[in-house]
Amino acid sequence: MIGIEALTVSFGGVRALDDLSLEMKDDVVGIIGPNGAGKTTLINVLSGFVEPASGAVIAHDHDLLAMKPHARARWGLARSFQKAQIVPDRTVEDHIRVALDFQHLPERDNERVLGRVLEFTGLTEHRRRIGARLNSAERRLTEIARCLASSPKIVLLDEPGGGLSQNETSLLQSLIGAIKQEFGAMVVLIDHDVDLIRAICSHTAVLDFGKLIAFGETEAVFRNEKVKAAYLGG
Amino acid sequence: MNIYGIFAVSGLAVGSLYALGGIGLVVLRRATGFLNFAYGAIAAAAAMTAWQMLEWGFWGPIAWLSSILTGVVLSASYGRVIAPGLAWRDPAVKAVATLGYALIILGLISFLWDDAARKLVLPTDSVGLTLFNVRITVTRLIAFLSCIAIVVATVLYLDRTRTGLHMRALADRRDHAALIGIPISRVETTAWSISGGIAGFTGLLFGDLVRLDPTVITFMVIPAIAAAVCGRLESLWLTFLGGLGIGVVEAMLTMFKPVAPLRSMTPFIIAALAILWMQRKQKLTFATGA
Amino acid sequence: MAKAFQLLFSRYTLVILACASASMLALPLVLGAIWVKVLTSVTIFAIAAAGTSLVYAQLRLVNLAQVALVGVGGWIMLRLNHGTAFPFEVSLLLSGAGAGLVGMLLAIPAMRMRGLYLALVTLMAAGAFQIIFTAFQFPNGGDGFWGVALQSPGEMRRPLLAPGDEAYLRYTIAVAAICFIIVHLHQETRSGRAWAMIRQSEANAMAAGVDVTVYKVRAFVLAGFLAGIAGGLLAGALKILDSRSFAAGESVLLFAVSVVGGVYGWLGAVIAGLLYRGVPALFNNLGQDADLSLIIFGAALLHAIITAERGLAGQIADAFDGLRRKREETQ
Repeated sequence: MIGIEALTVSFGGVRALDDLSLEMKDDVVGIIGPNGAGKTTLINVLSGFVEPASGAVIAHDHDLLAMKPHARARWGLARSFQKAQIVPDRTVEDHIRVALDFQHLPERDNERVLGRVLEFTGLTEHRRRIGARLNSAERRLTEIARCLASSPKIVLLDEPGGGLSQNETSLLQSLIGAIKQEFGAMVVLIDHDVDLIRAICSHTAVLDFGKLIAFGETEAVFRNEKVKAAYLGG
Repeated sequence: MNIYGIFAVSGLAVGSLYALGGIGLVVLRRATGFLNFAYGAIAAAAAMTAWQMLEWGFWGPIAWLSSILTGVVLSASYGRVIAPGLAWRDPAVKAVATLGYALIILGLISFLWDDAARKLVLPTDSVGLTLFNVRITVTRLIAFLSCIAIVVATVLYLDRTRTGLHMRALADRRDHAALIGIPISRVETTAWSISGGIAGFTGLLFGDLVRLDPTVITFMVIPAIAAAVCGRLESLWLTFLGGLGIGVVEAMLTMFKPVAPLRSMTPFIIAALAILWMQRKQKLTFATGA
Repeated sequence: MAKAFQLLFSRYTLVILACASASMLALPLVLGAIWVKVLTSVTIFAIAAAGTSLVYAQLRLVNLAQVALVGVGGWIMLRLNHGTAFPFEVSLLLSGAGAGLVGMLLAIPAMRMRGLYLALVTLMAAGAFQIIFTAFQFPNGGDGFWGVALQSPGEMRRPLLAPGDEAYLRYTIAVAAICFIIVHLHQETRSGRAWAMIRQSEANAMAAGVDVTVYKVRAFVLAGFLAGIAGGLLAGALKILDSRSFAAGESVLLFAVSVVGGVYGWLGAVIAGLLYRGVPALFNNLGQDADLSLIIFGAALLHAIITAERGLAGQIADAFDGLRRKREETQ
């Protein structure tokens, strides 16, 4: 559960997020909106890269804003990036192990988690491949595997479908849909892709110019006139 | 009064040299993105050339001009031959590459001229005037005034001429410059030449006012960088003031016994503080690697 | 535990140990007295170069103050030698620790800067150390805190195991091997992974739970520690240190030769040491002007930066790979 209260972020004179309040408690929540609506800013506030001017964020009874970015990750807030962050000279395994490093599990458990997330993402055979040799779907999956290895409570995915083919997107879709069941983490999904959001998000929030213009059950949201006007182009 | 005056004047003269060095660096850095560590080595080559010409009995002005020309040639050849291959690299990598050039030039100089003590004498050394009981040689006056003149000329050049405007455009948006039809190669070569010319002139004065020693002149690049840093590697006027400030503080500290042996730390400390101050709000969160 | 064991006895560390043992056995036998001294210096600066390379390879940060930190290590070693009765090894570790602390200070600007500005800050630090060394010199058995006397310098003690020059070369090689293995273990474990994430972007590292401050500081402390060990060993080798060896330009030169050698492994560091101390000695020995080595360094640096990103060590590794592939193809 993530509770956002009266969150405001300003960059210079521009209000990237304007008095945003939102309570997300479903398994997979979508956030949608046109470019510059404040989606990525929101995810950056949650992960601690952007400091809000005012407001509060409570996740599972924890004051998220009081924690440093890496502490949030260790607490259980995992995230991916719009442009998958893959180190060219490090293997898939190395990327996943980073998330295991701070959990200080016995090596046997590390192996088990590693095997599990590799299998879940279908990367088992790419385990020892270096980042430079991965295609864009494999890079994306590596990042998701890293998120899942951190035993997350919440997974934030920033446009995971970007730059993927139709096939790859549908694979990703079923994968994201299974996260809650397999790993017990809530998923917050940011994307432009209306079809992807519709397919897997039970609830969806729509942002425009930093303001929340609609929030609720996904289908109801997409029927909302304001949403159609602002986002779907009427 | 007198003693302070003497140190202030000598500090202003040396500071003018730092400032001149810094200005040459800033001009180049703005137009090409290169921070030229070879700047001091180029100045050293220029000073040695002038000395050699005088030694061979050439007429003074020819020798002086030859030093400026040496600077232009050395700097422009790096700009034409090596720099284009590095145009898109990280600024730190570009700077380190110029180190390679500095080593080559310094090696050549030490190979061509042995370690003997030399003196570069300009006729202006023996002419001077007395101001507030402090005698000022014309060479020092030239250093100071030419420094101001070069700042003014460069600022006007960047503001008023076509090539100058091109340089500023290059500095602002390198990737767009080619698209809007700026002759990048020509503009950059001009910048390398101007910077090299200033280096040559600085080397000549440094050889006269401070010491004619290739290694010492080569490492003059460090206080020159310090001056340039005071101007954020951008502003010519702030670089000018930074250079003068460093020179004066350094000279004045001679009078305070406890710190006198450490006074040459001045440029480093001022520059380090300037950088730390400028970058105090910097965050690296989204800076990407490689 | 098994994992740690496996790492410690990986092929990489075994190669280091084999090369180190071979050179410990062979070098003192085949080299003349002068070359034993030269190779001791080469090995010492290979340790220092491993530190510069670590920071550059792992974090892409340019540290232009490494030789200044070698000076700090050397100063501490001489100070302890002339002021205490500590065994050599204790003083050596303290030299490493002291320089590591100074390295930690260099990590402070690295929190907010990188690239050119950080390189300049470290260069300014190197400049400041140059002035300090020139003003106060290195302890030689004199009185007081700075311990500098004009006459009758005290004796710099060497390790009990290695009083003579040849034994000291062996000792230095052994220390270097340990240092290279320490660096390697860092690169292959948690630290190396964290550094890789930071290198990609700090946001990425933080999102993966990496405490960026801790790991940046760790890299700088480790680099400083290696410089300090190098300084301590250098003091033991030369017995007196001269401030001119630790000028800012030397740090810049060491960075340059590290890039030329290759920053990704111990071989690169050894090549850097050879270039830094071996090549000038070779020129001297051949009756050539040592200044020529500067020209070669300069050209090699430009070459390395423009075309060979992994340095000479990378080219050697590629050549081996090429040979192996050829052999496999013909079989």
